[in-house]
Amino acid sequence: MPPDKSDLLQGTLDMLILKIVALGPIHGYGISLRIRQISKEVLYVRQGSLYPALHRLEKRGWLSADWGQSDNSREAKFYQLSAKGRKQLASEELNWDRLAQAITQILRTAE
Amino acid sequence: MPLPDFLSRKRKQKRALTSQLDSELRFHIDELTQANISAGMSTDEARRQATLEFGGRAQIREELYDVHRLPFLETAFSNLKSALRFIRKSPAFSAAVILTLALGIGANSAVFSAIDAILLRPLPYPDGDQIVKLEQSNPKIKSPQTFVAPLRVEDWNRLNSTFQALTGYYTEDASETSGALPEKITEALVAPRFLQVWGIYPAIGRDFSPAESQPGGPPAVLISDRLWRDHFHSDPHILEKHVRMGTFSPAIVGVMPASFLFPVREVDVWYVIPANAGNRSSTWYTVIGRLKPGVTINQARANLASIQSQLGKQYPLTDADLAIGIDPLKELTIAGVRNSLWILFGSVSLLLIIACTNIVALLLARDSQRRHEIAVRFSLGASRSTLIGQLLTESFVLALAGAALGLAVAAAASRVFRALAADLPRVEEIHLNTSIVLYSLLCSVIATLLCGLLPAIRSTRTNLSGSLAQSSRTQVSGRRPLQWLLVGVQVALAVTLLAGAGLLLRSFQALGRISPGFDASRVLSFHVSASWAETADMKGLTQRIDRTIDALATIPGVESSAIAASLPGIPDHSQTELKVLEGEVDPQHKIVAESRFVSPGYFATMRIPLLAGDLCRESADPGNLNILVNRNFADTFLSQSTSIGHHLQVSEKAFPLMGEIRGIVADARENGINREPGPIVYWCTSSPVPDPFYLVRSSIAPTAVVGTIREKLHEIEPSRSVFAIAPLQDQLDDTFAEDRLRTVLLTFFALTAISLACVGLYGTLNYSVTLRRREVALRLALGASQKQVLKQFLLQGFGVASAGCAAGAILTVAFAIVFRHILSNLLYSISPTDVTTLSTVIAIVLTVAAASSLIPAHRASRTQPMRILREE
Repeated sequence: MPPDKSDLLQGTLDMLILKIVALGPIHGYGISLRIRQISKEVLYVRQGSLYPALHRLEKRGWLSADWGQSDNSREAKFYQLSAKGRKQLASEELNWDRLAQAITQILRTAE
Repeated sequence: MPLPDFLSRKRKQKRALTSQLDSELRFHIDELTQANISAGMSTDEARRQATLEFGGRAQIREELYDVHRLPFLETAFSNLKSALRFIRKSPAFSAAVILTLALGIGANSAVFSAIDAILLRPLPYPDGDQIVKLEQSNPKIKSPQTFVAPLRVEDWNRLNSTFQALTGYYTEDASETSGALPEKITEALVAPRFLQVWGIYPAIGRDFSPAESQPGGPPAVLISDRLWRDHFHSDPHILEKHVRMGTFSPAIVGVMPASFLFPVREVDVWYVIPANAGNRSSTWYTVIGRLKPGVTINQARANLASIQSQLGKQYPLTDADLAIGIDPLKELTIAGVRNSLWILFGSVSLLLIIACTNIVALLLARDSQRRHEIAVRFSLGASRSTLIGQLLTESFVLALAGAALGLAVAAAASRVFRALAADLPRVEEIHLNTSIVLYSLLCSVIATLLCGLLPAIRSTRTNLSGSLAQSSRTQVSGRRPLQWLLVGVQVALAVTLLAGAGLLLRSFQALGRISPGFDASRVLSFHVSASWAETADMKGLTQRIDRTIDALATIPGVESSAIAASLPGIPDHSQTELKVLEGEVDPQHKIVAESRFVSPGYFATMRIPLLAGDLCRESADPGNLNILVNRNFADTFLSQSTSIGHHLQVSEKAFPLMGEIRGIVADARENGINREPGPIVYWCTSSPVPDPFYLVRSSIAPTAVVGTIREKLHEIEPSRSVFAIAPLQDQLDDTFAEDRLRTVLLTFFALTAISLACVGLYGTLNYSVTLRRREVALRLALGASQKQVLKQFLLQGFGVASAGCAAGAILTVAFAIVFRHILSNLLYSISPTDVTTLSTVIAIVLTVAAASSLIPAHRASRTQPMRILREE
């Protein structure tokens, strides 16, 4: 596994998963692929974190899951955003924006 | 859902989950492999790389399980672990709680085991609730004439439509003479269908055959398990043996099961009497019947009432005036003890509440020590319900341990019941069973909620930041009104229990102080075996009994001897209506009096003084007996027109009895020591029954003449057995066995309650002293005297105790008024709201409360100001 990939900030994985799933039904492998592609190979999610997170989100009712056919016609578990998950995503995005702004502010002011 | 089902469902769910997780993860690895192949790797290399990149699959699966694990069981288990840790950490505290609960739950389960066995469970026969007792009575005469003629039982059985079967039985004492010495046994003469009604079968052998139930059929008996074991030494060939009773020697056809608890416990042999025995006026049978399934008592009553009115037309002389009473056999068996048991149950429930209140106070006192721990757990994100769950689990584990220990108490209790009241109905059925275990479990759940909920809610209510910031050392304690309220409640309940016990004690003492009008000391009573068959020769019977009485009087140390059909001081319920033969009969003033049958020596033996006229003699004419009446009878019914020398006759047609009034004796409480004597007519005859009570007054201790009496009787009546020989006083005491049981138990419960309340008071005051030691130290340093401090704490304890006593007094009076009817039946010559008892109880409680306040108060006054203040 590539050693120079950045680890995810604690607590942000859930938000990223919600965001990726919001784009449309997708399986676990697809999510890890998307995160890597969109972040231009910067962010890398370990499977050991991804699947527990997916199941936790499903249990909380933010994701719903169904078994379906993948592109190469194999049985795969597809995750989908629920209404509750959509609300959660919105609030997390808002939080993230405020946090990011605050951090940026601090970094600039401290210069 | 039963546990095994639940578990197997859980296993299935887990298997499904495993396969889903596996295929989800496998899909991911397969996709990675595919991607690697597309990138140009060989198939094997692609899979190796994919597996490597994916990481520990087993570990991921474990983590996923964690996400899906049942949250409830998980928490319950971790709560349990933390509860056990808590108990290990504070053994003294836990032991105090467990012991208190063991006492509370144990006493409660013990009384419940008696209630369950005696009141709640059906009689120990198949469908025992179908078994009823039938009595006949004549509404025109007050006397209950409960025994029924065999012919009538047959009529009832033949004509009814509501019973599966009706039967009757009659028991008497007899002598079994196959051994070297005659052995006293009890025989039951039964009507056909006897076993069918009880719904049981012999353990060995068979029921009576139809031929054996016919007149002139082959004589056959069933014997008891006891007789088989003791007399026949468990002989396996018992069915080839005979029982010998004088010349009668029936074949043994069966042995009854040991578990057969016949209403008359000591019966040894049963034999069947042909259906046509006796005449319609014979008073023989106690009648029992088994209702058809679904038939109510009222339907049976209506059915038999119409049958009897039909019989009344057919046999106007004997059957016209009879009414039939039907009641469940169980009701008749247990009616007497019901109130006592419920009162005891009420008291042990109060005791359990006191125990729980005590524990609440203990838990609250610990609360401040645990506040820090709880605050930390709050800040770590535990929810309030989680914490309450944890605290309740702790209480539950303690309660469970208490209940387990309490069960041991309950198991020992049946022995206590048997020792204190051997005559309690169904007492042999009291033992530990599942329902008692379940009940104890229920008690512990209730105790958990009672003890644990309030402290749990309180200690999780505090705002946590405050607690975390506050150091307990500088904390100034509040007045803790809740804790003092709890102590007050304990005192109040203890006062109520103690007042109840006090009333019973004083009533019991009053019973002991009654002068019954006869002298039972140094009087022995016993029976000599006899058979009703002897009544065929009344003259011979009279001579035989007179000979025995005379022989007894010649024994050295014996002052006088007599017989009586029933023991003095023990209720006999033989009210009869009488009429005076001389002069006009006044139909407005019926003469109803208790009839007692005694030999002429009875009055000297029992020391009942003659007030007027002459003592009676055995009359030569059995149709005209000598009569003595008591003072109450004389005052109520005798006048110028009716006096000594007049004749009385029993009004019942079926029961011709006539006699001449010879004199008047003083009132004696013949019909129960605790009852005022009513009008009594003494019929002087030596042979009222073949098997009367023999009464012997001795000049030395009655037990010292037992041996000589046995020898003398064996000398004159070698074929008869002497049995049930006991001092009369003991038998009178036994009639109050139930009073004794409830008095002893309630006193024990009340003493436990007051001890618990005092421990509660002591503990709370002690704790308060510890919390306020800085304040006390400061005051002492500023010049307060030790005496002032002592007084302050003493007054605090005393104040709470006084308030508790006041509340307890109100509670007691309220109970006394609500349960007035029950209580006045249980109490003799004392009112349920007796002021002396209540004020004595309050004085005792206040004294004990003051004593238990003294130690903490003294400790407070000895506080060393400088040491405490320097601790800061």
